[in-house]
Order: sequence, then C-alpha cells, then structure tokens
Amino acid sequence: METQKDRQHRFSLPRLHMVSNSPEHRYPANELPGLVREITSRIPAVIQLREKHLAAKSIYDLAMAVRGSIADSRSLLIINERFDITLSAGADGTHFPGNSCPLEKARNVARDPVMGKSVHSLQDALTAESEGADYLVAGPVYETPLKRQYGPPLGPELLETICSNVSVPVYAIGGITPKNARQCLEQGAHGIAALSIFRSEANLCDTLESFNRVLKQCS
Amino acid sequence: MLMTSPLFCCITAETSCPVQQAEKALEGGATMIQLRRKLASGSELYTWTEKIQKLCRRHDAVCIVNDRVDIALAAKADGVHLGQEDLPLEAARKLLGNQRIIGVTVSTVTEAKRAERQGCSYAGLGHIFPTVSKKKSSEPVGLKRIREISAFLTVPILAIGGIGTDNVCEVISAGADGIAVISAVSEAADPVKAAAELLKTMQTCSRNP
Repeated sequence: METQKDRQHRFSLPRLHMVSNSPEHRYPANELPGLVREITSRIPAVIQLREKHLAAKSIYDLAMAVRGSIADSRSLLIINERFDITLSAGADGTHFPGNSCPLEKARNVARDPVMGKSVHSLQDALTAESEGADYLVAGPVYETPLKRQYGPPLGPELLETICSNVSVPVYAIGGITPKNARQCLEQGAHGIAALSIFRSEANLCDTLESFNRVLKQCS
Repeated sequence: MLMTSPLFCCITAETSCPVQQAEKALEGGATMIQLRRKLASGSELYTWTEKIQKLCRRHDAVCIVNDRVDIALAAKADGVHLGQEDLPLEAARKLLGNQRIIGVTVSTVTEAKRAERQGCSYAGLGHIFPTVSKKKSSEPVGLKRIREISAFLTVPILAIGGIGTDNVCEVISAGADGIAVISAVSEAADPVKAAAELLKTMQTCSRNP
C-alpha cells in the first residue's frame, strides 16, 4: 500500500491553502469558481471546498465547477470531509475536520487521494500522522473570532512543537495575515491556510502578492 | 446482504441514542434500519453505523445510512438512502458497487422512473399521508401515487410518511412492498411493541385485494 511518503512524491502540496467558506463570512457559492480562478492563476494553492451549509448534490456540482476553474495543474482541489464527493467529482483529496469519520477508515476505501486533518494540539497531530494524514492544518495559531470554539490559540511556540514532531507538511491556520505568515513559516510550517482573507476582492491581488513574497523568502 | 421481505424500515429519530433506537426496532422485527441524523458529526455517524451494522447482522436485517455515502463506505454499511438533494445516484452507485443497497426518495412518477433507470435498489415513496416527523412543504402524494408507480416499477416501493397500524394495509394493498417509519416506532412509548404490532399488521394485509 502506498505510504504517506509515496503520496508526497506524487502530490507536491502548494504552500497556500484557501478554505472556501465559513458561516460567519458567507458568500454565494456561485462566486467561488471565479475566485478560485483568480487565486490559482497567480499562485498554486490548495483549494479546500468547505460548504457545510450545502446539500451533497450542491457540493458535488460546485466541486465540478471549481475543478474546471483551477487555472494551473499545480493547484489541488480538496473537499472538506466528504470523501465520497472527492472520489465522485475527481477532486485531489479530502480534508478531515477534528470530529470527522476516522481518517484511517476512509483510507481503506479511498487509497489514492490526499488526506489532510485539522489538529488543535500536539497529541492531535501525532494521532493524525499515525492514522495516515498526508498533511495537517494546525490552529488556531493566532487569536481569531472564527476559531474561538477550538480554545485558546496555539501560538507560534506550539506550532513549532507540532512542526518539529511530525514529518508531514503542516499548514498554519487561524488569524494568518501576510504580516505574520513569515513567523509561521519560520516555526517550520510548510504553508499557511486561511478563510476570510481571500474574500475582500479589492485587495485579493495585493494579498496574494504579499503571501507570494513571504513564501519565496522563506523557502 | 440482501433486503428481506417484508420490507420494514425503521429510521432513527433526531432525539435519543440511535443505537438504542435501532436495537428496539430490530427487537420488534424491523428488517432495515436507516441511520438518519442530520446534525451529527462524521465521527458520531461512523461509530453509530458500525454498531447498528453489527446489530442488524444479528437480526438478519440491513443497515443503511442516510445521505452519507462516505460513512457507509468507511463503516462498511449495507447501503445508503439518498434524497433528491444528496449525491447523485449514478455517482453513489459507482462508489458502492452493484451489490450494496441504494434507496432513493421519490415523490413523482418522473423521479421514480429516473431512480430505477439509474440503478436504485428500492424507491422510498412519500410522503403518503400527512406526517409530523419531517417538516414538509409539499402536499402528501396519497395512495394514488403508490398505484401509479407500482404499475411500472420493478424495484420495491417503500412507502413513507404518516404510516401506522391504522393505515398500513391501505399502502400495501395500493402496491407498496413495504414501509418506512420514524416516529411511529422511535417515539412510541414502547418502541419494541410498536414495531412488532406494525409488522404483524403488515403481514396480515393482502396485496391488491
């Protein structure tokens, strides 16, 4: 069976990870393909489709539309939780939230796609890696109103602890801006993940440019 | 695992532990359990499905999961039940293969024809009578729709919506192959007895008298 390492060779994970939606900053799903085209034409990105308020058929339809709007072959389309939709829509992988179906059980029936997991502690991270996660999303690193339900922020120190104790790539999430992204990368994060920062279309170009600069400097 | 006759599906209600609900329904004679918990996490659904699947095996019944093809695959359930807003049937069939059960909710002749063409294992037809278990914006389809659809459909019809001991024979004689219930069993004072009585009544009904 293919290991995490084998898959890492097959998929190189982009360092920017955009999570598509949140109940607090909701925008119409039909704006997403355009937004994804904008982002992926400028920088390779993981696009995580996370539309918890939509029924499965709508997520499937949206996944097909977004897949068609990804502008470069280095970007990946990841579906939140529903690996059935990942397989059906031909997406690249699945992201498992903290309270998801066990990743290792999903792996038994979906061998190929990338699988990532949200983690909120070192213990979470070690468990997720041993279950076969290909990457982790660790957070919240900084204070953010959207992530308060997950407890106090990890802070850069705990992010560093997580990154140095696992061998799979780690994305930092939670209050990430182009300004503090450098700190996360210096702590060993492979990349950064964010939700609402990609919304303000007026600044999208600048935001991406800033991230791009930081990512290039910290490679 | 095949569906066994008579088709008597108990769907879990949103309240109380679904595993306990399944246990009682099976004890009363349910031949199919549908795990339906719209607000539960994937982790909970996975755990419940594994447990209900084991219980079903012990009772020669089948376990299907509402909407979540992912959970059915991971927990190796016998199948899924899909509404019209869920993953398209053809996509689900590809993932689950030809052996597993895929039920589809239909309320019109067109939906029933399409579901059969695309490979459903049974059609869940409803809601037949007014019901309290699910909030419905549409009118009940009535017994007439069972007659219309049973005239051409080759896969079994599972009637759902407001069915109890008082009217189960009406739906069977109209052409339904079985029934699905939520509150009639799970919210009864004695769910085991309620399920047993429904089953017993259903077995006395004559089809197409």
